[in-house]
Amino acid sequence: MHVNYWREVHTTSLGRIGLGLIILMAATAALAPLLTTCQPSAYTGAPFAAPSAQHWLGTNDVGQDIWTHLLYGARTSLAVGSGVALLSLCLSVLAGCSSALLGGLYDRLLMRLVDALIIIPPVIVAILAAAYLRPNTILLVFLLSAFSWPGGARVIRAQTLSLKERMPVYAARTFGASRRRLLFSHIIPDLGPLLIALMIQDARRAVFMEAGLSFLGVCDPTIVSWGKMMQHALKFVYMDVWRWWLLPTGFALSLTIMGFTFTGFALESALNPRLRKEVSHAGN
Amino acid sequence: MPVIKTIKKTSPVNYAVALFIILTINFIIPRLMPGDPLQAIYGNEALLVLTPELQEELCRRFSLDRPLGEQYAAYLFSLCRGDLGYSYFYNAPVLKVISGFLPWTLLLTGLASFLSTLSGFFLGVESGSRRGRALDQCLLGGIMFFSGFPDFFVGIILLLFFGVFLSLAPLSGALTPYAGHSGLMLVIDILHHLALPLTALVMVRLTATYLMTRSAMITTLGEAFILTARAKGCPERTVRYRHAGRNTLLPVVTAAGLQFAHLVTGTLFIEIVFSYPGLGSLLYNSLLTRDYPLMAGILLIITIVVLTINLLLDILYSKIDPRVAQCM
Repeated sequence: MHVNYWREVHTTSLGRIGLGLIILMAATAALAPLLTTCQPSAYTGAPFAAPSAQHWLGTNDVGQDIWTHLLYGARTSLAVGSGVALLSLCLSVLAGCSSALLGGLYDRLLMRLVDALIIIPPVIVAILAAAYLRPNTILLVFLLSAFSWPGGARVIRAQTLSLKERMPVYAARTFGASRRRLLFSHIIPDLGPLLIALMIQDARRAVFMEAGLSFLGVCDPTIVSWGKMMQHALKFVYMDVWRWWLLPTGFALSLTIMGFTFTGFALESALNPRLRKEVSHAGN
Repeated sequence: MPVIKTIKKTSPVNYAVALFIILTINFIIPRLMPGDPLQAIYGNEALLVLTPELQEELCRRFSLDRPLGEQYAAYLFSLCRGDLGYSYFYNAPVLKVISGFLPWTLLLTGLASFLSTLSGFFLGVESGSRRGRALDQCLLGGIMFFSGFPDFFVGIILLLFFGVFLSLAPLSGALTPYAGHSGLMLVIDILHHLALPLTALVMVRLTATYLMTRSAMITTLGEAFILTARAKGCPERTVRYRHAGRNTLLPVVTAAGLQFAHLVTGTLFIEIVFSYPGLGSLLYNSLLTRDYPLMAGILLIITIVVLTINLLLDILYSKIDPRVAQCM
């Protein structure tokens, strides 16, 4: 059963490209202040300047450096993405594991709620809530997490139910291990790869939804965001600026989402035994 | 069949609970805002425009001066009558404004849903039966690559390339204004305007169906009955479509249902890019003008459409496949 998932992912070409893209974007976001000399809010040049040595991607309609915006936009996207991934994972684990371990009426009621929440289209409700509440980044993370945990909870519950009956967990229970010990030292470690797959999926969706919401104009006006940049640039599509304003932003967003999609796909094919061609075991 | 196990059928009760949650969110969120309910629901801009008589009438109709419980009852009651409030920007009831824009969205979403499922299925069958070979690798890589693009960005690229660069397609709208076409010319004109938004949606949205068909094909092709079919001497295409393809069709239909919600949200964004006169453009406009009742109305209608489609597919699904009805 113990498959070396890490090896499976980083030896497939899709997985390698995906991981590379994620690392690239994370590095860009982390090193943003070193890669540019401007501040995102500073007016550093003439409006609509073409790319030059000073402004690599030119300037926007009020003379702010687009390259700087692109770098700081990566921060917003990844912060929202990883925030939502972590928070909704915690909620999923909490709901899924408790439901599987406690069982009974609690399990039935919670799963009924999860089944109902899964059908609700998340982007639409997020637009509604965000339009009224005008959220800052932290509130946005909470809002998006609130709609993305149910899917994970169901998968985790199913996996926990099967893990619960396996020999090591059964043995631990006969030694008198408490439910908490069973959960933290026996079940959650075995859920590992699944949890990472869920996090990647949530992060991808969150990056996409953040961009979509800011594309619609429902976002924190003080924060640089790729979606907002694209919405803004789309207004000037009749000029030449789209070449260095609209397209690089769109590609940056697409590459980030692609990074998550590819890694997630490689990991999922490693997790699904039927799709796996040959297995490389741990310690090979 | 192992594939069936991964699909869970949802019972109608879940839809009722989901609808209830949606309605409650719709009711609660505006009332969380500071200020009196009328101001919170309609926003400051609207209050400047609405006449005092109309404000009073709205207050009375939705019991806005009563306790929350009574407001909720009044809200549900008015929904049943199809009363979604009043749009100050269009100066008309919300439902009437929406019904003018809804057909275009339904046309775009319906066609996109049909085409993306069909092409995703076809490509998935071809790719899954050639697993690991050049065509499969190209298709998988290419489709995964496209699925990374957000729909609105694909729309923007198509708009820039075909609309601005090559001037092959119109830049906005769903009809040529004042052209007075009728009959066949009208259909051609509509399709001409539809081509780019539809291509963008299908390109991004066929991924889920494609991946699902592909992995179901791989599993199914390993089954014993495929070996039997090959042993009988069935031609390759018959094995591929009549034996394996037919068995993968069921999960694909469900996937289409689950995809529908994503497709609708994708359509909203695509419509904004192409200024297509559907609900997406209307939503964008209502966000810009802060026409809150209109926005809430649009989102509610979309959610109800999505829930209804999913419910219908669920019912249809257990009719097509008796095994699903039995696993309940």
